[in-house]
Amino acid sequence: MHIGIVTNEQSGVFQRDVIAGAREVAVHYGHEVEVDSRDEAIDRQQPTSLDLAAVDGVLVITNVLPDDFLEGLYLGGTPLSLISHRHPTHPIPSVMHNNAQGIWKLMDYLVQRQRRQRLLFISGNREQRDGIERLTAFQREVIRHDLPEPLIIPGDFEPTVAHESLQRLLQTDGVIFDGVLAADYLMARETKKILAALDVAVPEEVSVVGFGDGPEAVDAGLTTVAADVQELGRRAMRQLLGQIDGLVIRGATVLSVALMVRQT
Amino acid sequence: MKQRKATREQLKQHNRQLVLNAIYSGLADNRAALAAETGLAKPTVSDLVSELIDEGLLVEVGRGEAAKSGGKRPRLLEFVPDARHVIGVSVTEHQMEQCIQAVLANLDGRVLAEHEYFYPVEEPETILDNLISVINGLVAQLDAPLLCVGLGLPGKLKVNSAVLTDTLVAQYDVPVYVENNTELAATALYAFGQDDECLSDSDSDGKAHGLVTVLINHHVEIGYILGDGVYHNGGSIGELEIVPGQTLESQLGWAAVKKRALALRERYGSTLPEENLLYLHVRRAMTYGDEAALILHQELVDVLSPMLAWIIGLLRPQQISLAGGIVDLGAELLHAVEQKTRHLIDSEGIVFSLAEDDRGSGNLSARGAVAEAVKQELGLW
Repeated sequence: MHIGIVTNEQSGVFQRDVIAGAREVAVHYGHEVEVDSRDEAIDRQQPTSLDLAAVDGVLVITNVLPDDFLEGLYLGGTPLSLISHRHPTHPIPSVMHNNAQGIWKLMDYLVQRQRRQRLLFISGNREQRDGIERLTAFQREVIRHDLPEPLIIPGDFEPTVAHESLQRLLQTDGVIFDGVLAADYLMARETKKILAALDVAVPEEVSVVGFGDGPEAVDAGLTTVAADVQELGRRAMRQLLGQIDGLVIRGATVLSVALMVRQT
Repeated sequence: MKQRKATREQLKQHNRQLVLNAIYSGLADNRAALAAETGLAKPTVSDLVSELIDEGLLVEVGRGEAAKSGGKRPRLLEFVPDARHVIGVSVTEHQMEQCIQAVLANLDGRVLAEHEYFYPVEEPETILDNLISVINGLVAQLDAPLLCVGLGLPGKLKVNSAVLTDTLVAQYDVPVYVENNTELAATALYAFGQDDECLSDSDSDGKAHGLVTVLINHHVEIGYILGDGVYHNGGSIGELEIVPGQTLESQLGWAAVKKRALALRERYGSTLPEENLLYLHVRRAMTYGDEAALILHQELVDVLSPMLAWIIGLLRPQQISLAGGIVDLGAELLHAVEQKTRHLIDSEGIVFSLAEDDRGSGNLSARGAVAEAVKQELGLW
């Protein structure tokens, strides 16, 4: 069989690992994988360069394809699985990390183990399901732990955006926080760098934690929740192959995450 | 009623379960020890063990020490928890949504994957299709043959569970076990215990051997497991009236609680939000001394305490757990309810606790469905 994967940037850390996991399962069962990486075809007029008539099913990473295009594929009967994204109206099968669990673990770590009270949250992309769910879970945990109103700044899952937002915040008078929770670990790493440049001791003065895990988090000694991104790819490919085999699936497969305590 | 003798097949199934359970629980680790532990003849044990090894449920893992009297060193046996997978499903109803949550677990109850689907409440006929679509989500993730499916349904769901069962059996060609959701929540706590200091009075295995769970969401339900798991049942108690003229659901159901909270908010100028109100908001407002939140909290305690006193008086469990959305009111609610209930009835030795879903291990009822299905099939737990 011929499986298509659509992503925004196949060399990105997250995308690379998802594709590796998905490819591992496909190869195990003797299937071919074709990756359509949108960053390599900026002039493209169509949402995807895949020949949809020639593929048996499609994996879509995050919100790279417009929802109306996904709707067309779904209603047209193309086996389809979404990774870290959910369609707003149709129950297109998806695979997600357990965002609520991850935020809960990070918040327990910050509040109960590190005794942090005044938190800064660097949000992800609020148009992606992961971004929305992590922000919502954070707000629930703030109430659960009875914390003062937290600071929330945009990060969009982009370290550069997080960098600009944090710099802007730090120029504001009277800003106080003793813990930072970033919606992904690359933004947390960026935060640690900025705080180090300002001679703010991490974690003595400010604790920094992030969602997700990778070599960059290990190198930076970041405390994170480890979301096994390759496993996300593997599970998504199994979900897609199940559909190609005739299983009707609705809703989301949700994967657990684990707290990785390091130096921050 | 005339009692019938067990059939040969039933006896064999019973003996199989004895052998498997003895290995699983660590009471025996070789054939001779199994014979001694179960009281079965050695050739019977040997045949059953061979069969279980062929099926992949047991494996030989080397040799143990010889008996002091001499003889051959016994071949050690181990249970293989990943030999089969089990799917546990829970259907819950909210005001606007139906929610199907399922877990894929191995025979130890370790959750390998979860699948969930929320959809608007429609005609009951759609439940079956949606159930199958959720179970399919986990069938796609199977690494081992599917042993069975456990299904938890809410007490008030108007659906023919026999039709559901028959259809699912036909679809997946495995046994399907259906129970009440709240009973399964109690089963989960019984089978897996709870990592909670509230269980300090339970036995060393972390299990409370007489356990009642009261689930409070939009409806009010009770599930119990008593006599070391021998007696268990569950169902809705929302229509009961402890105060004449007022059903439990009209006082504890989320719709009623929310309505009352908004009325108190109006009257006392509370900080409670008008929209998207959660129990967590009530808990937070209480810490600021918000009068509306404090009154609401006290009213809930006043309804919950006599209800729990009745349950304790009738069932005398070792542990009583509150579950569902109301758990978000936290330790403050638990302590207030415990204090008042103990004032109403002698509750010496009874542990009060909150049964919080361990986010990431599936909801309690779905895990209970796994435990119940494995118990029925293999006699474990």
